Amino acid sequence: MRHKSLLILVAFALALTACAAPTPTPAPKPEPTKAVAAPTAVPPTPVPPTAAPQKVKIRLTTWAGADESKELQAVIDKVNAASSTFEIVHEPVPADYYTKLQTSIAGGTAADLMWLSHEEIIGYASRGALLDITEFLKADKTNPAAKLDDYFEPVLASCQYQGKYYGLPWIAQPVVMFYNPELFAKAGIKEPDETWDWATFKDVAKRLTIPGQQWGTSFNGWPPPHMWVWQAGGEVISPDLKTCPVDSPEAIQGLQFYADIIYNPEYAVPEEVIKEQGFGEMAKAGKVAMFFGGASDDLDYAYTKDPKNAKLKVALVPKGPAGRATFAWSAATSIWSGTKNKQAAYEALVALTEGIHHWKIVAPRKSLANVETIVASVPGKKDSAATILKALPDMRPFRVIPKYGDWNDVFWNQFMDPLFHKKGTAADLAKAVRPKLEATLPK
Amino acid sequence: MIGTYAYTLSHYFLVGAGLGLAMLAVYGLLRLLGVKGEAATGLALILPWLLGFLIWTLDPILASLYISFTDYDVLQPPQWVGIANYRTMFTADPDFLPSMRITFLYGLLSVPLGLAGALGTALLLAQDIKGIGIWRTIYYLPAVLPAAATAVLWRWMLSPSAGLINTLLSPLLNLFGLPRPAWFTDVRLVLPSYVIMSLWGIFGANTVILLAGIKNIPRHLYEAAEIDGAGSWVRLFHVTLPMLSPTLFYTLVMGIIGAMQVFTQPMFIDAPRQAGIFINVYIYQQAFSRFRMGYASALGWWLLLVILLLTLLVFRSSAAWVYYEGERRR
Repeated sequence: MRHKSLLILVAFALALTACAAPTPTPAPKPEPTKAVAAPTAVPPTPVPPTAAPQKVKIRLTTWAGADESKELQAVIDKVNAASSTFEIVHEPVPADYYTKLQTSIAGGTAADLMWLSHEEIIGYASRGALLDITEFLKADKTNPAAKLDDYFEPVLASCQYQGKYYGLPWIAQPVVMFYNPELFAKAGIKEPDETWDWATFKDVAKRLTIPGQQWGTSFNGWPPPHMWVWQAGGEVISPDLKTCPVDSPEAIQGLQFYADIIYNPEYAVPEEVIKEQGFGEMAKAGKVAMFFGGASDDLDYAYTKDPKNAKLKVALVPKGPAGRATFAWSAATSIWSGTKNKQAAYEALVALTEGIHHWKIVAPRKSLANVETIVASVPGKKDSAATILKALPDMRPFRVIPKYGDWNDVFWNQFMDPLFHKKGTAADLAKAVRPKLEATLPK
Repeated sequence: MIGTYAYTLSHYFLVGAGLGLAMLAVYGLLRLLGVKGEAATGLALILPWLLGFLIWTLDPILASLYISFTDYDVLQPPQWVGIANYRTMFTADPDFLPSMRITFLYGLLSVPLGLAGALGTALLLAQDIKGIGIWRTIYYLPAVLPAAATAVLWRWMLSPSAGLINTLLSPLLNLFGLPRPAWFTDVRLVLPSYVIMSLWGIFGANTVILLAGIKNIPRHLYEAAEIDGAGSWVRLFHVTLPMLSPTLFYTLVMGIIGAMQVFTQPMFIDAPRQAGIFINVYIYQQAFSRFRMGYASALGWWLLLVILLLTLLVFRSSAAWVYYEGERRR
């Protein structure tokens, strides 16, 4: 009996060792060959004379999905081939990215480099999760991606916390207006140009709406209502981060303009139709005449991939009483403060950022803000590139605070949601919500 | 190729070998202590599970209890704040009570409706009808489908203009000149929409459990009742339901626990924020979007307490309506 028990135990122990299933590991290291030439865009990383023969592995985590990962890997391969000091290993997390990121930071196993949306950088930096790269940048005189005065200032500012830099932006996507020239022609309306203001936009949206069939425009919280506040000359968070003047006449003017259009079947797609048919999909299907999207969205060349998609063109967003400010979504690569290889991580960050600037549009650098770079990155943007460039001087990301999640919560749940569902006017709701928003600001 | 994975694989082999050795060591130690061979083997064999439970279940549970008394943003070390998080729930969080409210209402509607529907279906399936196996499989299918896929399916089914539900309702709605309900966009209809969705899941699993319960009721009880002249309704209320009460009790308890923890459906289907956020989704948001793991842990422990209280209430009430065969009535 005793021998039998022992036999079972030994068999089980052996089975345990044999049953272990392998988990996915990072993609195999590409064999650098002489045939793979380093791109001219990626500057050679200085190699110290005492550099160890083996490259330092730098882990990079991103939210890239399958297709984006494939494209990013091509960039990484070139960067790795050009470096003798580091090798970037990509670890994509396409779902629940921030949950995984936070837990890996808490567990001390985070990747050396991480992608962060511009709304997140200050939150992570203020909590000590990101490496301050200010001194690295100051000392770096060779890499073009480290030249801070080349960046668009508002975009670079999203990587700054208390005067220090915590990442390098790799994209700045200003919102532009995609429009369907066929629907304009059918209605005998002139295509949008730079003279368009809010009144023109609203009037045309109404004229292009055929109830239940076609709509002038489509809002659903996107494009961000902040844009209309800025265009009216208002702010949702003041530049000094001390107040939230959402009840100023300018802010109210912008928000009420937005509220009058959103889900209003006279101008825009009703909420239930958006949920049913999809937001961007309706524009692609030719049911929305004017759709606001990021400059890199494929709406203007989607018809080249599938002829069923409507042929859309790009225009600047209509201007408001105080200007044509447009929202720009931005993202950066940052270094985890717990990295064991600070120097190598910085070198990898700069080289990778340079590589991404020649892949994603729009690169957030003035020297790369030209038609050639945009078209070289995304050939489908040939016809839109010039308009996109005109939007760049007016673009700005959100103004972010350390407790931006709390601020956002109040802004959307207690202000925008009731406003969009006609539970009050912008003026009524703004008064009540302002103190709650201001309670989340840094003291 | 194998070389790429060798390093990772070696870890697995090492862990496996380590566990194997630990099991042998535990076995040897227990034998030395005079434990019988069979018992020592059993204890050694459950060692991997026991370690897994201690490390990956008990430790996080205790850690979350501790974290619930701290201000913890995940990225920095937790700071002890005593009962501040629990106080915040009731005094300074405007979203907490609405979250509890919508979760309670959801449970209050979905659990009895689901249970009644499942009981009715189980009673039908218990009849000797042709192709009963196929019907049972069909009714059980929803229980094995992934919740995420079901949520997406229901989003289509409840779609206002092209959804199946509204298409079926349209003759009736047209007759009374009513508009098509905007299920997940009209604030008033959000809760009913989730309840309708929930019936799908509860239905499948509960139907099969109740059917098994009905099939276990001894036939002689029905025969005796028939001899005494009992009709169908009398047999249902005086034989079937009392004999099925332990199974109903089990499904009720599990239904309450499930309803209070609803998460997947609201995560996949966007509804107006004004309709409220289910408490489990709220906990997730607090933990991972608001950097408030301490507060989220406190909410989690509060939810556990509520579920425990509700379960206790059902247990206490069971003496009045649950009948166990062979149990002496006092």
